[in-house]
Amino acid sequence: MQTPLSRCTLLLGLSLTLLPMAQGVPQSGGDFSTNAEAKKLPTGVILVKGAWSSASDSVTPLPEGGRVVKNVYSNPYFGLTYELTPDWTEKYTGPPPSDSGYYVLAQIRPAETFKGASRASILIAAQDLFFTVAPAANALELVNYNKEGLNADYKVEQAPTMVRIADHSFVRFDYASPVAELHWQVLATQIRCHVVQFVFTSRDTQLIENLIQGMNKMTLPPEAGPISGNGGGEAPVCIRGYARDENVLEKVDPVFTERRFNPVPVRIIIAKDGRVKHIHFLSAFPDQAKAVTDAIFQWRFRPYLRDGKPIEVETGIMFGRAPRRATSSTNEAVSE
Amino acid sequence: MKPNKLALLLVCVSALPFPGVVFAQVDPGVRSGAINGQPTATPMNPLPLASVSSKDGSLQFFQNGLVRFQDVESVSNSPTGNNGLGPRFNFNQCSGCHSQPAVGGTGPANNPQFQVIGNGIVSSSTNTIPSFITANGPTREARFPFFFDQFGNPNTNAPNGGVEDLFTVSGRSDAGSCRLPQPSFAQAQATNNVIFRIPTPVFGAGLIENIDDSTLLANLAAQARNNLGISGTFNHNGNDGTISRFGWKAQNKSLELFAGEAYNVEMGISNEIFGQDRPLPGEDQLGSGLPANCLNLTRTGYPEDTTNFSPTVTSSDPFAVNASIPSDVVAFAMFMRLLAPPVPSTTTPGSAASIANGRSLFGAIGCATCHTPTISFTQPSNFTASLGSTSAPVSVNAFSDIEIHHMGTGLADNVSQGGAGGDQFRTAPLWGLGQRIFFLHDGRTTDLLRAIQAHQSSGSEASQVEENFDSLSPSQQQDLLNFLRSL
Repeated sequence: MQTPLSRCTLLLGLSLTLLPMAQGVPQSGGDFSTNAEAKKLPTGVILVKGAWSSASDSVTPLPEGGRVVKNVYSNPYFGLTYELTPDWTEKYTGPPPSDSGYYVLAQIRPAETFKGASRASILIAAQDLFFTVAPAANALELVNYNKEGLNADYKVEQAPTMVRIADHSFVRFDYASPVAELHWQVLATQIRCHVVQFVFTSRDTQLIENLIQGMNKMTLPPEAGPISGNGGGEAPVCIRGYARDENVLEKVDPVFTERRFNPVPVRIIIAKDGRVKHIHFLSAFPDQAKAVTDAIFQWRFRPYLRDGKPIEVETGIMFGRAPRRATSSTNEAVSE
Repeated sequence: MKPNKLALLLVCVSALPFPGVVFAQVDPGVRSGAINGQPTATPMNPLPLASVSSKDGSLQFFQNGLVRFQDVESVSNSPTGNNGLGPRFNFNQCSGCHSQPAVGGTGPANNPQFQVIGNGIVSSSTNTIPSFITANGPTREARFPFFFDQFGNPNTNAPNGGVEDLFTVSGRSDAGSCRLPQPSFAQAQATNNVIFRIPTPVFGAGLIENIDDSTLLANLAAQARNNLGISGTFNHNGNDGTISRFGWKAQNKSLELFAGEAYNVEMGISNEIFGQDRPLPGEDQLGSGLPANCLNLTRTGYPEDTTNFSPTVTSSDPFAVNASIPSDVVAFAMFMRLLAPPVPSTTTPGSAASIANGRSLFGAIGCATCHTPTISFTQPSNFTASLGSTSAPVSVNAFSDIEIHHMGTGLADNVSQGGAGGDQFRTAPLWGLGQRIFFLHDGRTTDLLRAIQAHQSSGSEASQVEENFDSLSPSQQQDLLNFLRSL
C-alpha cells in the first residue's frame, strides 16, 4: 500500500522524467523534422514568388507567353514568329514582367554545337507603352529617348533610322562600346501598344548583320510599325487611358487589404458589350490580383465604336502605387 | 621514352588546344594593403566619416558605438553587464561576424561560429555545430524557406523564411534550467529546405540611409533606358511606404531598425524596437512560444537592452557621458551611420591602367546599370557634414541602385521579405568588395569570377550582362576583376 508520501514522490519522479522529454527532441512540425526519409524540395525552382504576372484565364495569349519550339520563337500575343539561326538556342528564360511593363521575351545564344568563331546574343524584349516610365508614346520615340540617354561609354554608329525587315518598318539604332569592343544593334517596332525590340550584341558586326538578315523570315502582324502598332485586325485595338471616367459606366474599386506599396499594372480587354473579358496582371501579389479581379469584372465600359460598330479594346490601368518620376533634374544618377 | 618525359609531352600536347586556359583571368583575391583603403584604419579601429568630431560629440558617440559593437554578450552573469544573450542566437558579439576587414565589415576567414563550443559560448551537451558552419567557411545565419509538416516534410503551402538560430543557451551555467533543442538542420539540408545569409558590411551605411527616395526613383527612371533586360523595383517599408534599403532584400528601412532586428534575431537580445525574446518561427507562429523557463533569463525584465537612464560612463567630457546614455541599439546604429565608406585603390591589384580599363568595362557591358557607381547625392543631414549638407551634398559611391532585382533560379532562396519575392535581391553595394572574402547572399563562393557567373540563370535580370562579360577577352575580364578588387 502506498502512503501519500510515496505517491507524491512517485508523481514528482514521473514529472521530472517527463520534463526533459517535453523539452527534448520535439515532434515533426514547424522548425523540426524527425523524418529521415522526408521528401526533398526541388532545386533551382522559384517556389516563393513576390509580385508576379498572372491572368484571369489561361486561354488568352499573354506577352510573356512566347516560347522557342523546334528552333522557332513564337509569340501568339504579338502574332510574331522568329526562326532562330541553326545552332542557336534559348538557354535561359527571362525574368517575369516588371511593374513598369518591361518584358524579356527571349534570350537567344549560340548553342553548344555552334561552330562559329564569334559569339553574339539576341535579346527579344518588349516595353508596354501604357506603363513605361519613359516619356515615349511609340517605338520611334522610345528608341530616340534611349539614344539620348547613352553615356560617354558608348559611340553612336547609326542614329535611329527607319528600315524594312520582313516587309515591315522597324527603327534601327546602332551603337558600340569602344573599350569593350562590343556592338549593339537595336531593331524596334510596335505591336499592340508595346515596343518590341530585337537587341543584337557582339564583337562581330558581320555576324550581327547576318543575324539581322535572318529576321526577314519573321512573321509579324500587319499593324507592326515604329509609330503604328495600335492593335486591330485579329487583335483588339489598344488605347492608352481608355478606362477614364467618361468611358466607365459602372465601377467598383478594388480593396487591397495588405499595404504593399507596389505598382500593380493591369491590362484588360473590353468586349464589344463593354464587359471586361480578360485581365492580365503584369505584376501583382495574389491577393492583389484577386481583389482587382473581383472588382474589375463588375466594371461596365462604354463600348468602343469604329465605323459605328463596337469592337474589342485593350487598355491599361495602374492600381496600387504608380511609379513616381524624378522631380529634380539635378538628381540624375551618375552612371559609368 | 622514359615515363616522366612521356608525361611531360602529354601535358604539353594536351595544353595546346586550350591556350586560353594558361592565361585565363583569375580573381586576384582579397586586396592586401591598407584596411578599407585607409592607411590609418586598423582591424579594430575602422575610421569614422571625416567630419565626425569631438567638438560636437559625434566622435564620442562613434567611439562608444564601436566599443559596444565589440561587447561580448552573456545570458545573465556578465561582469560588464552585457546580458540578455539568447535563449537562441547565432553569435554573442556583433564584431564576431562583422569583422572583415575591420569591425563593421563582413565575415572573417576564421569562422567564429565554428568555435563556439571550444570557446565555451555554447554547451556541447546541448548543441552541435551544423555541418554548414565550417572552420574557414562564411559566418552564416540559416533560414528554412518552408515549415515542416507533421510528417517532417517541407510544406510548400506553409512559407517560413524566418531565421533559425544556430545555437541555444541550454547547458550554459548562466542559463538556468532553460532547455531548447536546435532546429532540425540536418533534415533541412537533406530536404533542400535551408538557405543561408552572410553578414552585410556596414561601412558607409549612413550615406545609404541618407539618400532621398526621389534620388533613387530618378535613378530607376534613368536605368529604364537600358537594352540589357533589366527592370528593377523597390522594397518598401510596411509602415510608411517609403523605400527600404538595408539587408539582402532591402527589407529594413533604417539602421536603427537593422540594428534592433539583428540584436534580437542574431543574438537573442530584446530591445526597445523588438521587445520580446524571439522564439523560432515555428515556435512563434505554430507553437506556443518559448517555454517559461527560457524567458527573462537575465531576471531583470524586458527589454534586455534599454536606454540607460543614468550614464554608465564617468568622464569630464560631457559628450562621452551623453554617449553612454542611449541603448545599445541606438549606439550600434550611430556607429554604423558614422562609419566611413571604404576608399578604393587606384593602383592595386594589377595596375592603374588595368583598373581604369576595368572600370570602363564595368560600365560598358552593363554592370553599372544596377551596381550604380554613384547614386547622386545625399540629402542634408542633421548628424554630421560628411553625410551631406545643404551646401555640400555627398556623393554615394556605393555601386548599388538599392533596387531589388529578379536574380533567377540560380540564386533564388525562396524567402520573401516585404515586397521582395524568393528570387529578388537588393543590388549588393560593391564598395569595399576588394577586401571581402565571401560572395553572394549565402557566401557560396570566394571566387569573384564564380560570383559573376552566378548572375546568369533562368529568370535573372542579369543574364544578358553576364553574357556580355563572357564576350570580353581574357585580358578585359582580368581588368574588370582587378577593378572590382580595387573597390
